[in-house]
Amino acid sequence: MRKPRITAAAGIALTALLAGACGVPGAGGGAASSGFEGPRITERVTPEDVAKMGDTTLRVLADAGEEQTLEALVPRYEKAYPNVEVEVVTKGFDDLLKTVPNSLSGSDAPDLAQGNQGYGTDGPLVRAGLLRPLDDVMRTYGWENTYTDGALKQYRWTPDGALFGSGSLYGISPVTEYVGVFYNREILDGLGIEPPGTYREFTAALDEVKAAGRQPLMLGNAEKYPASQVIGLVQGQNVSSRDVRSWVSGVPGATVADKGTQDAARTVQEWADDGYFGRGYDGISSDDAVAKFAAGKGAFLVAGSWNAPALQESMKGEVGFTLPTRPDGTRATVGSLGMGWHISAKTKKLPAAVAFLDMLMSEDFAQSIADVGRTPVTGSAEATSPVADAVNDTGLKLLADDGQNFYLDWASTTMYDTVGATTQDLLSGRTSPAGFTEALQEDWQDFAAEQREAAGAGAEDAS
Amino acid sequence: MSTLSTPRSGTAGADTGAGPGAGAAPARRVGASGRVRAWASRQYWPSFLYLLPAAVCYGLFVLRPLGQTAWISLFEWDGLTVGRWTGLDNYGELLGDSRILAALGHSLVFVVFYAVLPVAIGLALAGLMSRMRVRGLSFFRAVLFVPQILATVVVAVSWRWVYDIDGPLNAALRAVGLGSLTRAWLGDYATALPAVGLVGTWVMFGLCMVLFLAGVQKIPTELYESARLDGCGPVREFFTVTLPALRGEIAIALVLTVTYALRNFDLVWNTTAGGPGESTSVPSVFIYQGAFLTREVGAASALSVCLTVLVLAVTAVIMRLVRGKEG
Repeated sequence: MRKPRITAAAGIALTALLAGACGVPGAGGGAASSGFEGPRITERVTPEDVAKMGDTTLRVLADAGEEQTLEALVPRYEKAYPNVEVEVVTKGFDDLLKTVPNSLSGSDAPDLAQGNQGYGTDGPLVRAGLLRPLDDVMRTYGWENTYTDGALKQYRWTPDGALFGSGSLYGISPVTEYVGVFYNREILDGLGIEPPGTYREFTAALDEVKAAGRQPLMLGNAEKYPASQVIGLVQGQNVSSRDVRSWVSGVPGATVADKGTQDAARTVQEWADDGYFGRGYDGISSDDAVAKFAAGKGAFLVAGSWNAPALQESMKGEVGFTLPTRPDGTRATVGSLGMGWHISAKTKKLPAAVAFLDMLMSEDFAQSIADVGRTPVTGSAEATSPVADAVNDTGLKLLADDGQNFYLDWASTTMYDTVGATTQDLLSGRTSPAGFTEALQEDWQDFAAEQREAAGAGAEDAS
Repeated sequence: MSTLSTPRSGTAGADTGAGPGAGAAPARRVGASGRVRAWASRQYWPSFLYLLPAAVCYGLFVLRPLGQTAWISLFEWDGLTVGRWTGLDNYGELLGDSRILAALGHSLVFVVFYAVLPVAIGLALAGLMSRMRVRGLSFFRAVLFVPQILATVVVAVSWRWVYDIDGPLNAALRAVGLGSLTRAWLGDYATALPAVGLVGTWVMFGLCMVLFLAGVQKIPTELYESARLDGCGPVREFFTVTLPALRGEIAIALVLTVTYALRNFDLVWNTTAGGPGESTSVPSVFIYQGAFLTREVGAASALSVCLTVLVLAVTAVIMRLVRGKEG
């Protein structure tokens, strides 16, 4: 009985292999789009244009963070365009990033979807030709007047998806988010420390809090990324935004192994050594850190502006927000516009989709965005609380200073992991500041080499 | 394996001899095809129809994806655009990647925590409970089994709280004057791996215990009685009666727990995400990252195939060693 069983097993394995061997994976899907074919938008879409489509459904795939924004937008939209029904699906950030490529490449793709800037998500989407370039829409609706060129670069890609930061515009967002410094008014008042305005004042305040025997900074780094945002905040003081963004975008010859970044890494490593972050930060999740900060642990919290609504709710008037300025009075920090809204290259409802983006980006809608605690950049709006006001006000100044440095982890498909693990190594003293920047640069170079190789292979295939 | 180099008689003949004409032919001329024919002629073919529904589902949802994974592992593919044939390059890169080898090392540590410890604890508990009558036995059994049925994310979140720098474990240490030992157990390079491992022990030992208790109940009481008449103490009794009788259950428990240890992902991802640094990374974390985050689907598939082969091999070894001829 032994031999036949082996034969049968081999037969099954062979069948399985043959069943699997159904051709080159990905063949028949979207190929790299060299030049977009399809109707152009040269005039603003009118309700009549949309009405011509007859009764239809506009399908939208969005991040869960957009839920409240969409709850305000969709009824407005359906009232203005009564023949369109909007069908919204939202997913948590991690889920969205994992599923959006397959959603858009499937036969049942949504008309509008959110991605995430950088080589991790938007890059593959552009390379696979799944996104419609929005240059014509941008010109028609004047988006380039709302934003600085530097800010819009985060949605720009060369059509082959190989280089990020130049080329066609593939996405847009009406909000901005960035990393800043929350502070506990009660603790600062108790120690007689003024809320810092400049970076020098900020570091002086940290030293004073430490000298008074309290924990200066709250940090929860279990997810590995939060500490890298602290480094990014300090890097913004030392390195020009242009250089940081060039590196993130993969501009050939750029480097992160520069003195400014190394100094930033050293500063944060020293803070860790000197107990500025307290103990056990690698075992605390970022949400727990926000909760602990709200409960009075740590005088400062370096975190994303998106935490303002939660902190306002738990701390009320005790929470303040600042973004330390550079010696010349300008600001620069880890930050970007919101996750980009994309129009699917496959959509058959272009007028409805463009009208949707138009309404989202309109000045009239800015107040609705502010009402849900976010920072609109599309028009003036009144914030819901003093801390939200500080966040919104600073966010606009940051944009005016062209100081959005993007996120280091956008720089390659593996950078999120590299930055996270290396930051933990840095803070625990397992690697030096130079080792930290070298590890990032090595990842960056490996990725650049892969990109070149892929581009070469693509050219071979074409010839 | 296609031909036998030396003629065999007796047992070899019995193996294939039932086929028509096979008995007359010298054994060495019975090749693989002859054996298949002999085997085929013995079958009552309509009986295979009963297997068909299950076989179709198995083929469609297990073997086909497995085959596809193996096929994709031969490409460099981002999951969207057309893949590029790279042959066995993905496998070569795996072997050269020190991070993967380190992750495998972590997996072996997890085998101790997820398989060896739970089986040992389960055996000890089963041995105890087989000797004494415990009041409310089914209650204890149910309580000890609870970790097994809790959702992993719930387990992970609870243990993150237990291990937290301000959590109950550190509070207890401070209360007994061991404040110098306190730390963020999951955030410390030295303790993260055993800390996650102990969570696994806690999850798995209930399953082992229930399996062994069920096994103990089917051991005839006469065996215990005669062992006691022969003057066996509790320890001797455990090793001469209980342990040998539980061979089958131990094999099952080991296969389940070792498999869980090797493909362990959810517990690690939800407690440490492989950190701090890379100190708790396991192969599944890299598979997940490759497939969903870094979009190196080919490399992730290659790692999946290797992991599958490893799990199958380890399972086969366990079945052979522990169950022996019985299986």
